[in-house]
Formats: sequence, C-alpha cells, structure tokens
Amino acid sequence: MQPLTEEERTHAFAPTRKAEVIARQRLPVRYHVEDFDGHHRPRRFLEAFAAVLKHTNYRLALDQYVRVSAKCSRCSVKCQVYLATGDNRDIPCYRSELLLKIYRRHFTVSGVLRGRLLGDPGLTDERVQEMADAFYNCTACRRCHFECPMGIDHALITHLGRYILSEIGIAPRALAVSVREQLTGATGNTSAVPVPALRDSLEFLSDDMQEERGVDIPFPLDEEGADYIFFPAVSDFLMEADTLMGNAAVFRATGDRWTIGTGYFDGINYGLFYSDHILEMVLHKMRAEVERLKAKTILIGECGHASRSAKFFYPTYCGGKQALPVVNCMEYAHKAWKQGRLKLKPNTIAEAVTYHDPCNLARTGWVVEQPRELLKAICSNYVEMTPNRRDNICCGGGGGTVSIDEIKPYRMLVGGRAKAEQIRATGAKYCVAPCANCKKQLRELMEEHGVDCQIVGLHDLLYKAIDFGPAAGGNGQ
Amino acid sequence: MSAWIEFGRGPLFRLAFCLMVLGLLRIVLLTVVGIVEAYRRNSDRIVPWKAVARQTLGWLVPAGRLWRARPVYSTTSLVFHVGLLAVPFFLAAHVLLWRGATGFAWPGMPQPLADWLTLLTIAAALGLFCGRAFHRGARALSRLQDYVWPALLAAVFAAGYICSHAGLGAKAYQQFMLVHIYLADLILVMIPFTKIAHCVLAPLSQAVTAVAWKFVPGAGDRVAATLGYANSPVWVAQARSGAAPPAPAPKAAAKELVAK
Repeated sequence: MQPLTEEERTHAFAPTRKAEVIARQRLPVRYHVEDFDGHHRPRRFLEAFAAVLKHTNYRLALDQYVRVSAKCSRCSVKCQVYLATGDNRDIPCYRSELLLKIYRRHFTVSGVLRGRLLGDPGLTDERVQEMADAFYNCTACRRCHFECPMGIDHALITHLGRYILSEIGIAPRALAVSVREQLTGATGNTSAVPVPALRDSLEFLSDDMQEERGVDIPFPLDEEGADYIFFPAVSDFLMEADTLMGNAAVFRATGDRWTIGTGYFDGINYGLFYSDHILEMVLHKMRAEVERLKAKTILIGECGHASRSAKFFYPTYCGGKQALPVVNCMEYAHKAWKQGRLKLKPNTIAEAVTYHDPCNLARTGWVVEQPRELLKAICSNYVEMTPNRRDNICCGGGGGTVSIDEIKPYRMLVGGRAKAEQIRATGAKYCVAPCANCKKQLRELMEEHGVDCQIVGLHDLLYKAIDFGPAAGGNGQ
Repeated sequence: MSAWIEFGRGPLFRLAFCLMVLGLLRIVLLTVVGIVEAYRRNSDRIVPWKAVARQTLGWLVPAGRLWRARPVYSTTSLVFHVGLLAVPFFLAAHVLLWRGATGFAWPGMPQPLADWLTLLTIAAALGLFCGRAFHRGARALSRLQDYVWPALLAAVFAAGYICSHAGLGAKAYQQFMLVHIYLADLILVMIPFTKIAHCVLAPLSQAVTAVAWKFVPGAGDRVAATLGYANSPVWVAQARSGAAPPAPAPKAAAKELVAK
C-alpha cells in the first residue's frame, strides 16, 4: 500500500475544531466532544477505571494481556491504519499498551509498589489525551486479534478504553447526540425518524415496488405475533430504500409473517462502540418492543454492528439462553433460498460483482458464506476481493467512526485507504457491502479515490433477482 | 568451583524449579478461576467454546498461520520454540541428571539431533533479537525484557553447547558449566514473573477473551452508581459537569490517592 504523502497526512490529521474549544477542553482530538468537566481528569479516569473493574469482567482480560503480551508486532502488519500512517502509535499493541500500562501501574500490586519505589507519578493528563485520540483512530475491526499468537483482542481494549473515557465525559459528540435521541428523545431512534415519516416512506416504497414488479409487497407495521420482527439500521429508512425493498420482497416471496414495530424500529446500537451501559439500555428498548408485539424471532437488517450487538448481547441482557433467537436478514434469505422458498433468477446481474465482508459479521465466521452463495446464484460474474472472509480489511469506518463526519479526511485517507485499493483491484462494477456503516464509508471512499464501483446492499440485488412466480400475480421480470 | 556447580544444579536448581512451578501454578489457577467467575457473572452462559478450542489449538500448532504476518520472524520463532522445549527436556545429559535426582526419567534424544537443535535455537534466538531490533514496529513496542530474553536464552544454550563439545580444559569447562547452570536457574525463577508466563497462559488466552466479551448485566448501572452518577447516565446532556456530586473514590484508586 502506498504510504501517506506529507500533504495527505496534513489533510487527514488537520484539526477540525476551533482552537479555543481545544484549549477549553484541553483535548486535541479531531472529533467534536460536548463540553465536560475537564478538571482532575487523571483522577476521574482512575475512579471510572476502578468502578468498571469492580463491576465487570475486564480485569480477567487485562491481567492476562499484561502477563502474556510478547510485543511481536505481528498485529502491525494487519492494521490498515498503521499500514497507511506508518506511525508507531497506530500499532494495535502499542495502542493497547496505553491502557495496559495504566492498569499495571494503578491496579496491580507489583505496579503500585514499583510506582512508589521509583516515584512514578502514574496517570497524567497527557496520557488521557493520548488515549482519547488513539482509541478513536482504531476502527475496532478485530483483524489484528486473529494474528496475535497470544490471543490479545485489541478491539476489546479499545472498547474498554472508550467506555472509561465516556464515563468521564469524553465521547464523540456525533455518537453521544444520536444515543441521547435514541434513549431519551421524542422519536426514540438515532436518526430521529418520526413514525409518520416512517409510514409515509414505507407506503411510498410499496407503491414503487408495485409499479416496478407488479406485485403487492407490503411493509407490515405493528402486527402482533409475527414470526419475525425487523430491526434495520434506522438510517436505512432514509438512505437505503433499495435494501429495504429487497427485505420486503424476500418476505413476500417466502410468505413468512414479519413486522416492523412503530414503538421501536432501530437496530443501531452505538453502545457496542463505546459504552456497555448504552449497549444494555438500547437492547432493553429492543426487548420492550419485541415483547409488546409478541414476535418470535428478531431479524436484523443489513448492518454489521447492529447484527453483532443483537446476536451476541441480546441474550446477555435480555433473558439468557431463553432469549429470542436473533437472525441476520442475509442468514434468513439464504436459508429460505436453500429450502426452495425463495426463488432467484440466475444471471440477473451481468456486471462484475464483489463482496465486502463487514467486520462485525465475518470476523467470527457468522455470516460469511451465505451472502456469497446467494450472490453466485444471481450474478454471472462474481469476483472475490483479496483478502476476504474472516481476514477481510475493514472499510475504515468501523467502530462508529463513520458516523463522525468531521473526521472524514482521516477516514478517506487513512482508515479506508487499503479498502479503496482493494476494491479498485477487483475491477468490479458493484461492491456488495451489507452494512449501513460500510455502505456510507465505501460510497464516500469510491468518490474520494475515483473508483468506478457502485456500493450496494445484498438485498438491493436480491430484489432484482427474486422470482415471485405466476401465483403472485407478478410479471416475474 | 565444583562445589558451586553441585550447589547450582542441586539445591539451587530444586529451589528455582519449585519457584517456577509454584509461580506458574499460581497464575494458571488465578486465570482459570477468573474464567469461571467471569462465566458465572454473565447471564447467558453462551460462549463459543468450539471457536475458542479451534483458535487455541491453531496457535499451539501454528504452522499454517506463520506466513500470514511477518513470515520470516514467525518461522524463526517457531524453530526457536521447538528447540527451547525439546533440548532442555530431552538432552541425554539432562535426562541422566533427572534420573539421578528422582530415580525416574524418559528417553533422551540422540546427541547429533540435540547438537543441531541447539545450534538452530541459538541462531533463531539471534534472529529474533535482530527481527526485533531492526523492525521499526517491533522496536517501538519492545521493552527491556524483550531484548534480554532471546539474549539470555541464546547464552545459556551456547554455554551448554560449548561444555559438551569444545575440547576444553577442566577449568574452562567448569567456568562454562557454571554460567550454564546459574543462568538456567535464573531463567527458571524469572519465567512466572515475565512474559515467558505465556508458556502456560497462552493456551488460556482465547478462553479469556471469549468470556471477557461476555458483559455483565446491570454493570453499566452499577458503574454509574459507584461513580455517583446514578441519575445522570452518560447519554444525558452535561451528565458529567462540574456540578455533579464528588465521586466516592473506589478502593484501588483511593489507595493510590492516599499514596500521593
């Protein structure tokens, strides 16, 4: 990969905030932060750290990582951020060490003793500032985790670092404002979509599909007892009409009962990025809606972090092993297709198509082959990008960074640099990126880097390829 | 000098060996208990044990994974580890010592194999040292112990090799043997307290990470309450302004503050 030129570096890391704000907050980061009490930050950071250690499972991982870390630097080769900047501070192991060092110094007996003997002052305000910067340079994609012979998960450390920082008031304003609307606002979702607007746009989409496909494809709202209750990233209702049409069309073809709850219809959960507390509260909102409508399965739309936060944390916070199953919409479509309930017309897409694995879906091996099989069924020219599947490179907007508009130059030139080159090398006309965050980031990337590739969702293409059959009264075209 | 040698490979070795075993046992037990506790604190008890086992085994026999990142360094490291485990345990002279002390033993490896492995291990240790010193990323990460370990291990292997090969005079032989034995004892004692603890902890890492991602229900509320912000969670505007009540300092942090 081409390293950054000096000009690009200057642009990517240019301050985005007014000098007086940086001075007032004493926080030279590039993302906007709501004003907070900046006094005694090291002390308050340690208090928050201690409180988190007391009530959570993080101490186990910190102890382990402190003991085994071998500093082999294999992770550096896998980090798209480090490969772009070449800055040692962007090596995953270096970043994690920022927090591990504090843990060792303040929360282990040997560290405290050594600190006293050597007169080490411990955590300083500069270190807090450094962490506030470093933990939001990481996209928490977990690619480095799979190259660490010691099994260190740097994304877990990033998550923890951000959680502690958020407890002392340091979190990107873009994320904080969205979460506030989601948890306390009138609309109750991150994009502030009011219910009447939701109804209107869904009706409009149904009309559109009727016109295009000659089939009545409804978006059932508030239906009690449905088999599936659907939570896409709420931004899909504003920006991803084609994906939603595909979702509805798949259900029209399979005949399963599904619904969207007007009480809560947002799959987004920024808690996964920066706060366990938010993660839990958002999932409780989801649970309330699921229980209100007595749905049987939770279906998450094309969104990586929404899928992961529901799949892996809904059982944690909402009923344990008895919690309702969580399914990603691509899993659902794939299963229906395998069962013969979803008919797809082969060779519907003649142009070259490639697939981008969203980190939150692919890294654990959860949704990897299903979308590929579906794509191969409808595309005559499917090409893989390299590397792919579990080893895929992050789009550069992971970990919530894509929602922070003011750091776009960083995302374009640093975070997404490897991805842009990877997609360009495929020569594909369409890149399927089944994740609301990846889609936004990749579209901006393609424009920025002048790559002629259209970013679409998997369901955008499925919609074109579904064969409703003569019984549906459609024209099948 | 022969008394010093006898002391080094007799009582001192036994002490060092016991300290190593106890030290390693302690951290393994702490980690295993930690895993069980973390598992119990989580409500769903859903842990991807199969994936954990696959990853753990994959790293215990990492042959297929080496080329993916820093292939030369990684392969060197594998060779180094093989030598490091095989030679001390299976060198015929070591096996004999063990039999003499305990009355039981296992078959040793042929001397030519031991010789080649020793030389390979020394070369690999030097390779790892250079791979660290001359790789920009690795150099930025490295601590003192990261340089000391390969050097120390190369030294102990080299001293042992010289003792069993060079036509040394009795005095020189004893000097090298002394270095070999005392360095080995030092290494044994240091193992549990340095990164070499990974010899027993690394196979637990995947399980630790898996249960660490199992968050604890209600922890968010309790953290906020502990900090004195029970009624103003992070998503409320201005939650953590100067007007907030002073937080009660938790134990560890409080100790720190007192220390200052």
